[in-house]
Amino acid sequence: MATATPLATLLVVPTGIGCAVGGYAGDALPAARLLAAASGCLITHPNVMNGAALYWSDPRIHYVEGSSLDRFAAGEVLLRPVRQQRVGLLLDAGIEPELRQRHLQVADGCRATLGLDIGPVVTTDRPLEVTLSLGASGVSWGQLGQPEALLRAGRQLKAAGATAIAVVARFPDDPGSEALAAYRQGSGVDALAGAEAVISHLLSRELGLPCAHAPALSPLPLDPDLDPRAAGEELGFTFLPCVLVSLSRAPDLVALADSTALSIEAVGAVVAPAGALGGAAVLACAERGIPVIAVDNPCLLDVSADALGLEVLPAASYSEAAGLVLALREGIAPGALRRPLPALKDLA
Amino acid sequence: MSSLSLRPLLLQLERQPGGLRAQIETAVALHGRPLRWAITAVEQRPHQPALLQIEAVVVCGSDSDRDPS
Repeated sequence: MATATPLATLLVVPTGIGCAVGGYAGDALPAARLLAAASGCLITHPNVMNGAALYWSDPRIHYVEGSSLDRFAAGEVLLRPVRQQRVGLLLDAGIEPELRQRHLQVADGCRATLGLDIGPVVTTDRPLEVTLSLGASGVSWGQLGQPEALLRAGRQLKAAGATAIAVVARFPDDPGSEALAAYRQGSGVDALAGAEAVISHLLSRELGLPCAHAPALSPLPLDPDLDPRAAGEELGFTFLPCVLVSLSRAPDLVALADSTALSIEAVGAVVAPAGALGGAAVLACAERGIPVIAVDNPCLLDVSADALGLEVLPAASYSEAAGLVLALREGIAPGALRRPLPALKDLA
Repeated sequence: MSSLSLRPLLLQLERQPGGLRAQIETAVALHGRPLRWAITAVEQRPHQPALLQIEAVVVCGSDSDRDPS
């Protein structure tokens, strides 16, 4: 058991790159829980935490939208923990009436059963027109045809008192696609993830509020070969519960003048897949000299420490990464845990 | 009529000495306000700097509803 003070740690599992751990329905959550226990303070993002109908609430875990996490790592914003957010619900006008009602009932359920403060609800003044695409590397990206409509609705919610925003956009159904079949069987990329990131990045960046997204989709037919990592998304009619629960205690994003908030200066480690070290948050941490723990977590990319010239602490699994975080927290030099242990050398 | 749009980008960037993040953000910002970016491939070349592949989404145009204050 750790006795040292918490060591704030960033956990990054990039969205839509097909990570073996974290490329599916919140399936990096067990790793996040372990790292939260090892560090005492974990800062991570929706792709790690969102398991559709499944979620985990831990006061040691700070849920920060991806672009806000990048800004935090760059030292541009601080995080201030809160007891509760008032989560406004932003619905895409492109959602059909029955599916819309399902989402409203999830919000009501979270109010009645979990005691969350949710509301008001605003519907965009036109459909958001989400489209899905893959980048040159095969990673998931995506587009939004009506970004201004998203921002108008977000501003309405902020003006009405929402302190965080859950967005639900209608995503294209493609139940017969090979990509979806591969994803459900545990071998593909989450095709929705890139467009989801674009939506939440835009809203969070423009409004300065915690934001997260859940896609609205028609239910899929039963797949008896469903991979357990994708199962969280097939338990209900919506992906919204995890977003509402996690946003309800997401930290405020505050200006640098707030000395009571958590800053990047307090962060003692960043944990990321060994082949996906080329994102803004990891690079910002590396440039600050924060130890980077590079975990063997196969994905589509091969942007490694060697390729970028970064010094990292390699870890074969998230279990090993948690051990390294615990070592850093307790002031144990990670090199002392490895063999062979080279003899000291004179500087000259 | 929306005057704000999101644009996907694919860039090749020769790595220069110094911080990578600033190099990438400068290169992406030439095309719009960076919303999301990542290095998605690195090509090591003999006797030349590494070539980085950057995939990004930028925001183009102005938001007509934005509060000017």
